[in-house]
Amino acid sequence: MATVNEVIDTTIDDPGNRTPLVIGGHDYGSITRLVCGINESKTPIAWYIGMLMSLSLLGMLGALVGYLIFTGVGVWGNNNPVYWGFPIVNFVFWVGIGHAGTLISAILFIFRQNWRTSINRFAEAMTIFAVVCAGLFPAIHIGRVWVFYWLFPLPSLQLAMWPQFRSPLLWDVFAVSTYATVSLIFWYTGMIPDLATLRDRTNNKILRIVYSILSLGWTGSARAWSRYEKAYTLFAALAAPLVLSVHTIVSFDFAVSQLPGWHTTIFPPYFVAGAVFSGFGMVLTLMVPARQWFGLKDVVTLRHLENVCKILLATGSMVGYAYAMEFFIAWYGGNMYEGFAFINRAFGPYWWAYWIMVSCNVISPQLFWFKVCRTTPWLMFVISIFVNIGMWFERFVITVTSLARDFLPSSWGMFEPTPVDYGMLIGSFGLFFTLFLLFVRFGPIVAMAEVKSVMPHPHSPVHDDPQAAADHA
Amino acid sequence: MSQEANNTEPKLIGLMAQFDDPDSLLAACEKVRKAGYTKTDAYTPFPLHGIDEALGIKPTILPWIVLMLGIMGGFAGLGLQYITNADWYPFIISAKPVWSLPANIPVIFELVILHAAFAVFIGMLFLNKLPTFSNPLFRVPEFARATDDKFFLTIDVNDEKYKPNKTRDLLDGLIGQTDVIEVFEDPSPAELPKIIKFVGIGVAVVALVPPLLLWRAYYQTSTVPRINPIRDMDVQLRGDTQTVSPVFADGRTMRPRIPGTVARGEWVDPIMLTGIVPETGEQNVLFLQDEEATEEGTKKPAEEENPADDKPAEEKPADEKPEADKPMAEAKPAQDKPADANPADAKPAEGEAPAQPEEPEPNWVKIAPINVTRATLERGRNRYNIYCSVCHGLAGDGDGLVSQRALQLEQPTWIPPTNLHTDYLLTQPDGKIYNTITHGIRKMKGYGDQIPAEDRWAIVTYVRALQKTRTGTPEEIPAVEMKELEIKGQ
Repeated sequence: MATVNEVIDTTIDDPGNRTPLVIGGHDYGSITRLVCGINESKTPIAWYIGMLMSLSLLGMLGALVGYLIFTGVGVWGNNNPVYWGFPIVNFVFWVGIGHAGTLISAILFIFRQNWRTSINRFAEAMTIFAVVCAGLFPAIHIGRVWVFYWLFPLPSLQLAMWPQFRSPLLWDVFAVSTYATVSLIFWYTGMIPDLATLRDRTNNKILRIVYSILSLGWTGSARAWSRYEKAYTLFAALAAPLVLSVHTIVSFDFAVSQLPGWHTTIFPPYFVAGAVFSGFGMVLTLMVPARQWFGLKDVVTLRHLENVCKILLATGSMVGYAYAMEFFIAWYGGNMYEGFAFINRAFGPYWWAYWIMVSCNVISPQLFWFKVCRTTPWLMFVISIFVNIGMWFERFVITVTSLARDFLPSSWGMFEPTPVDYGMLIGSFGLFFTLFLLFVRFGPIVAMAEVKSVMPHPHSPVHDDPQAAADHA
Repeated sequence: MSQEANNTEPKLIGLMAQFDDPDSLLAACEKVRKAGYTKTDAYTPFPLHGIDEALGIKPTILPWIVLMLGIMGGFAGLGLQYITNADWYPFIISAKPVWSLPANIPVIFELVILHAAFAVFIGMLFLNKLPTFSNPLFRVPEFARATDDKFFLTIDVNDEKYKPNKTRDLLDGLIGQTDVIEVFEDPSPAELPKIIKFVGIGVAVVALVPPLLLWRAYYQTSTVPRINPIRDMDVQLRGDTQTVSPVFADGRTMRPRIPGTVARGEWVDPIMLTGIVPETGEQNVLFLQDEEATEEGTKKPAEEENPADDKPAEEKPADEKPEADKPMAEAKPAQDKPADANPADAKPAEGEAPAQPEEPEPNWVKIAPINVTRATLERGRNRYNIYCSVCHGLAGDGDGLVSQRALQLEQPTWIPPTNLHTDYLLTQPDGKIYNTITHGIRKMKGYGDQIPAEDRWAIVTYVRALQKTRTGTPEEIPAVEMKELEIKGQ
């Protein structure tokens, strides 16, 4: 094992010289102390300040939602023809953010990418909270919020009606609610052993009861672990196609319509790539400061950040390719409406949104070709912010430009967001960060059990004893 | 937390060996299994690879449960959609069949995943006998580190091979073992306290009341109106059409507009609105109302008063004439003087006067009553290109795409749109062109409902600008622009 003071360069690119995933001379106990210490230490002032800010934004969101429900959706800038404005932009944005968590926990698990263990809990929490934010917007976008349950196939005594299952909007209901449910139980299942660790360590009576209930009496029995691991693998196998299907179905909302700029077959893969891109962007945005503040640098090493940067580079290039391919097909397809839609996106009244999108999503991640950018946390943080902004604008460009300029010039109309629109966008960040700060304070933010299973094993007396070694073999 | 706290002798239920590292535990598990013990278990802070074989743990049936539930989810999705959409409440959209499988696949897929995921979660907990909050192991203080950094191996006293001393010796002889601990049964009663039972039953019964009340409300008739917490549009403060109002003497709920009045906020300068300079104040109001009246309105604007000028010729013989090369004189108003200057586009000659009695023209506004700026012209061009150019052409030659296509198809009822560069239009006052845009003429429909008055005037000024492109003289070009043109060599 490495000694505590030894400096390990975790970003060596030599494949034969893999650096450990956990550095700093940790053993199992010190990992527990490191992670649980975040929950057990005194609540830092910064947490209170952050919570206060998030709560005030959340309060604003709540007030605006109340205002919306009591007044009607006219408080938004949505109009005819732009009847999908900020609410849908925000919905797609937040659903996209959510994808990185499931991708890290499911697809990287299936690919045996052990580095995921340090960041997956964090990212999964991000998924859940992002999906909560996402779910809010379609719910309030339906106008009469109090009959939202008409979306579900419930036997209706008064109406004798059923939902239309061939509508992509209803597919969305199923996709997003399934995604939220599966992500939640996946996240929770992953947390059970760590909640048991917290339970066994805490001295606070109330917390002990809460953690006891949440950890369901987990003991760490090998027989339980065996089934647990099988369950985790099955979860990953189910969540991997699910995560791809969700954003595909979100893209169907657009692609199944006939609108120029929407009616394209590239949408499903393009949306999924964009979702992964934005999700990893948000992972980086949250992880860079978190590893600094919570002293997680030994667990979340530079190599982890570098890997995330590489994924950002790859998905950012995919998104860039999709932008180019949309343009190409619009020209090659010879459909003049399609051609106009794309020229109008880049040079029409919303040119600024388009170029913000391109520069943030395509150009900024290209910096990650340079190793220095992949290993400088503050630079990654800045680029990840750009990615978040760019991906929000991508959804804005797709949603608004196509609606504002469709086939008939006589049915054109510009979209002007109202202060309520802006307030809800900002307020949704308040909701997200409130949930996140609560989780950081009370939950296990690193999957301790998983990290312990991939860290180097400590010195074992078995290997010193030839007899025991023979038995073991 | 420890077993010494009890007076009665607690019952031993197992022996537990503690280890500091996973490799020792694996070796120990191997040894214990080879010794023939089966009621054993290991406790580790993380999943240990190889422990299944070392301890002889059989593969779990969980994947089969998940498979079954997944298949069930698929059929649930299929059945749900078929029954609701193809049977109970069929939707017919664009004449598509009520049942079309491809469109139902996304929901089926999601339900497969949802069911399978629940099967994974509930199945795993069920097979692991979780949640079990009471476990004798939790009473061993050292065991708290089983979720931290220590490893434990237990042997149950009920194991067939269990011999008090022999088993103890076996555990004591394990390499890497740091401690051997006796585990005692939990002496507290296994039964729930009675009070919890009663409270639980009570809460369950009380919780049943609201759904039962709702159920009763749905299935029973009542003499009082149902409680409607959210009224939506059920209850509104409004008068319905075809109902009697006690408020008005005539009993009509729907109020007709009082003649000669203008509603608050609806006043617009009648010149601006009609393009006609009114002679009296009263006429203003009449025109204004006509402007807003529906087709059944009591009075008609200029067209009706001057049928000879503006009334379209839809019903006239022109419609029956299939070929466009025949003159469609009837289609043209009486005072049209010259023939069309542009015969090349198969446009019929104009100007032959129909036998209609002439009626006095209204007092048309000569020049558009708006402030003409560059922005107005731009607006006019924009609106013209959207609404007018399809028929009249971008340059106003009457050769728009619609017209070209109609002529190409030899549409018998098509009347080619007017060339805006003919004297017929050049000599018209602005007000009359405005009136034509508002109410339409011949085949052209009225755009009054579609284009705001400001924009209609803007179109008129743009039409004037278009005409200037043919009739203008070099002297009319501003000096600055003239210079630019000279530079360009034109």
